[in-house]
Amino acid sequence: MKTRDQEYRELFMAEALEYYDSMSRHLSELERNPNAGPALNELFRLMHNLKANARAMGFADLGEVAHHLETLFGLIRDQERTFSGSLIKVVFAGVDALGNMIRAVGANEPLPDATALLDNLDRLVRGEEPILDEAEEAETEEESGKKMELSDLVYIQVKKLDNLLNLVGELVIDRDRIMTLAQEIGNPALLATAQHLFRISDDLQYSVMDARLVGVGVLLNKFPRVVRDVASAESKEVELTLSGQDVQIDRNILQIITDALLHLVRNAVSHGLETTAQRAAAGKSAIGHLTLSALTERDDVLIQVRDDGRGIDTEAVRRKAVERGLTTASAAANLDEQAVWAFLFEPGFSMASKITDISGRGVGLDVVKLALDSLGGQLRVESQLGVGTTFTLVLPTSIAVKGALLIEVDDRPYAIPLMHTDTVLALQPSQISVVGGVLVTHVQGQAVPLIPLRMLLHDEGDEMLPFADKADMIGAQQVLVVNYNNRRLGLLVDRFIRQQNIVIKPLSKPLDTIDLFGGVTLLGSGQVCLVLDVPALTRLFLTKRP
Amino acid sequence: MAETEINAPIAKAERAKPAELVQLIVFRLGDEDYGIRIEQVKEVTITPDVAKMPKTPPFIKGIANLRGDIIAILDLEERFRLRPAGRPIPERSYTIAVEAADYVLGLMVREVPRPFTMPLSQIEPAPEFVQDSSTRDKYLEGIAKLPEGGIIIVLDMRKLLTPSEVMRLPGKTASS
Amino acid sequence: MNKRILIVDDSFYMRTMLKNMLTDAGYEVVGEAANGAQAVEMAASTSPDLITLDVILPDNTGLDVLKSLRQIQPSAKVVMCSAVGQEVIVTEAIENGALAYIVKPFSEEKVLEIVGAALQNDASEQAA
Repeated sequence: MKTRDQEYRELFMAEALEYYDSMSRHLSELERNPNAGPALNELFRLMHNLKANARAMGFADLGEVAHHLETLFGLIRDQERTFSGSLIKVVFAGVDALGNMIRAVGANEPLPDATALLDNLDRLVRGEEPILDEAEEAETEEESGKKMELSDLVYIQVKKLDNLLNLVGELVIDRDRIMTLAQEIGNPALLATAQHLFRISDDLQYSVMDARLVGVGVLLNKFPRVVRDVASAESKEVELTLSGQDVQIDRNILQIITDALLHLVRNAVSHGLETTAQRAAAGKSAIGHLTLSALTERDDVLIQVRDDGRGIDTEAVRRKAVERGLTTASAAANLDEQAVWAFLFEPGFSMASKITDISGRGVGLDVVKLALDSLGGQLRVESQLGVGTTFTLVLPTSIAVKGALLIEVDDRPYAIPLMHTDTVLALQPSQISVVGGVLVTHVQGQAVPLIPLRMLLHDEGDEMLPFADKADMIGAQQVLVVNYNNRRLGLLVDRFIRQQNIVIKPLSKPLDTIDLFGGVTLLGSGQVCLVLDVPALTRLFLTKRP
Repeated sequence: MAETEINAPIAKAERAKPAELVQLIVFRLGDEDYGIRIEQVKEVTITPDVAKMPKTPPFIKGIANLRGDIIAILDLEERFRLRPAGRPIPERSYTIAVEAADYVLGLMVREVPRPFTMPLSQIEPAPEFVQDSSTRDKYLEGIAKLPEGGIIIVLDMRKLLTPSEVMRLPGKTASS
Repeated sequence: MNKRILIVDDSFYMRTMLKNMLTDAGYEVVGEAANGAQAVEMAASTSPDLITLDVILPDNTGLDVLKSLRQIQPSAKVVMCSAVGQEVIVTEAIENGALAYIVKPFSEEKVLEIVGAALQNDASEQAA
C-alpha cells in the first residue's frame, strides 16, 4: 500500500502546484480589477479543493490556511469584505505561505508555522484590522531567502510528456531525412554532422521515453485487494502471487490496459478457479493459485495472468460459437484450439452460465482485445483442461516508436507493426493449394489462408472476394504471415523492403474513417508510408472470404 | 462631436463599399477559371509525392506530406467530371492547400494558380443555368464576370470540404 | 451485479482517491467528470446507478448540476461530496433529491458505508 500512498502524494503535489499557479494568476487579476467575479469564484474553488485535498493527505496546517482563505474569498464574493487595503497584504502573504507549504510537502520537510497568518485571517473574517508586523514581514522575507533551495523532483503533467514525445517523433523523421540526403550528397563533413545528429536524437528519444516509464507494480499492487474481495464474494480461497513489479513500461500504456487486466483477474477468480469442493474432488490443493507477473521479452513487456483452475473447455466454446452464429458447425469442427479460444474475445461472448456479481453482466473478454488493439498489442492464450489457464498480454514498452516491417505492393511501401507479424516465407506455387476458393499453405503443420494484400487493399463494395486462382502464380511468392487474436493470415506482397523503427502519425480528417490504416509514417526518403492495421485486415478477410 | 464620431466610420464604409475588394486564388479546371477566396487558402506548392490511398473515392489522389502535415490530395476535375479528354494531369502539377474548419486538404491543379483582386460587387450569386453541371453548383459562392470578358467561378471551400462530402463515393465504383 | 458509479469532482486527486476506494470495493466506476457539463453528458451516456457529486464545480454549482442530473437520470442515486463549511448547499441538495452526503476529507469506511447505504435505498427518496 506504500505505492498507493506515493501515488496519492504525487497527484496531490501536481495538483497543488497547479492550484498555486492559478491562484497567483487570479490574484494579480483581482489586483487590477477588485470586482472580477470569475477570478473570485475561481479563487474560492481552488482554496476549497486545496483544503479538501490537504486534509485528506493529513496536512492539517495547509488545509487550515486554505480553509481560512476560502472563507475570506467567500466573504469578498458575497461583498461583505472588499479586496483592498490591509486585506490584500494578508491575502498575498497567505498565498505565499500556501506556496511555501506545498513546496515543503514536496521536499519532505516540516511545514512552516502559520499561526500569525491564521490569526490575521481570523481577524479579517471577524471584520477586524489585521496586525501587520513590519519586523515579522522582514523576517519572513529573510526566511524565504534562506529557503531558496529547490526540490530535486519536478512534477510534470502527462500531457506535457505526451507533447514532448510527439515532438521527438517529428524530430526523428526529419533526422532520417537529413541522413538520407547527406548520404546522397556525399559531403563527408555533412555526413559526419548528420551521424552526430542521429546519435543525439536517438539519445533524446530514449531519454524522453525513459521519463515516461513507470514500474508495472504501480498497477499490480492494486490487485491483492481486488482478488481478496472477488474471492470472498465467490467463497473461494485464492493465493495471489505477484512478480516483476519493477518491469518498466510507458505510463499511458499501463493506463490503457488497467480495465483489461482487472477484467482478466476477476474472470480468473470467478470462472477460472474452481470452488474449494470442486478442487478437492479433482484432487487439487484446496487453495487456488493465481499469479500476476510482468516480464520483458525483446522490446515487449509481457503481463501474465495465470491460474491453476479448470482450464478452458474448448468443446464448450466451440458449441457456443456455433450457437451464437459466429461460425458454422462444419467450419467450427475444423478449427484448432487457438482458433476456438479466439471466440472468447468476440464482443458479447461470455461463457458464464450464470451472471455473477463479480464479472458483471455478460461483459465479455472483448474489452481486453479492444485495449490491446488500440495499443497494437497481442494476446496469447495457453490452457489445459483441468490444469489451468494463462493469458499473456504482449505490450509495447513505449507508445511512440514501433518496430515495423516495410513491404511493397504496386511500387508503394506499406508498414506492418512487428507486433503482428509472425513469419516471412518465400513459397513456390507448388506449396500453395486452393481450398474452398481460398489459397492455403501449411506453416508448422497449421493451415494458413493466403490472400494477395493488393486484393484486400483494393476491395470495394459488398461483394465477396473472387475465388482464388493460382494459375497466374509464377515463381516464388513473398508471403508475410500476420497474427491477430491467434488467427494467422498470409499476405502476398511484391517484396520485403526492410525492418525499421517507425513513428506513427494518426491520419487526419477526413481520412481517419478508413480503419484499414492505423496511421502513416514518413520514411527517411520523405516518402509517405501507410501503416496497415492487422486487426482490420484480418476482419476484412474474414468477412469477405469467398 | 460624439455624434459625428459615431457616424464617420459608417459614412466611410458606405463610401468604400463599391470599392470593397476581394482577393482570390484563381486556377484552371477543365476549360474554366475557378477561384477561392485567399482567406481559405493556406499555401500553394508544387504537388509533393502523393501516396495512393486505397479505399478512397477515385478523385482522392492520395495523401502527401506537406511540412509534416499529412493531407489528402483531391482532383477536382475528376470530382466535377471536368477533365478534358486526352489531357491527363501533367507530371508537374500544383497543389493548393485549403483550410477546412479543422483540417487541411490539397487541391491538385494543372497550372500555376495566380492571385487576382477584384471588387466584391463583381461576384454575382450563381445563376440557374449551372444547375445541371453535376454537383458543382452546391459549392458555388458565385460567378465573377470580368470587364475584359470571361468569368471566374468562385467556390466556397467550407461547403466543399465537409468530411462526408469529401469521402462521398460518386456512384458505385467498379472493383478493379 | 456490479453497481456502476460516476464520479464528479474537479480535483484529479479526489477523483483518483474515490475511484480507487470504489473499484477496490468491487464497484465499477463508469466515468469521471471534472465539471458540470461533462457530468451531465456522461450521466446521459453511461446511465450510472450512483453519482458522487462535488458541491463546488468550476462551471456551475453542484446544485444546478444536481437538478439537471435528476431530470435526465432520475433513477441514478446522487451522493453529494463536500468539505466542511458548505452545509447550506448540502441541505438544499438533499431537498433537491440527493440521497446523502460525504464530508471531505473522507475515510474509506465512510465512503463505502454511505455509497452502500444509498444504493440499498431503492424505495425511498429520503436522505440517509
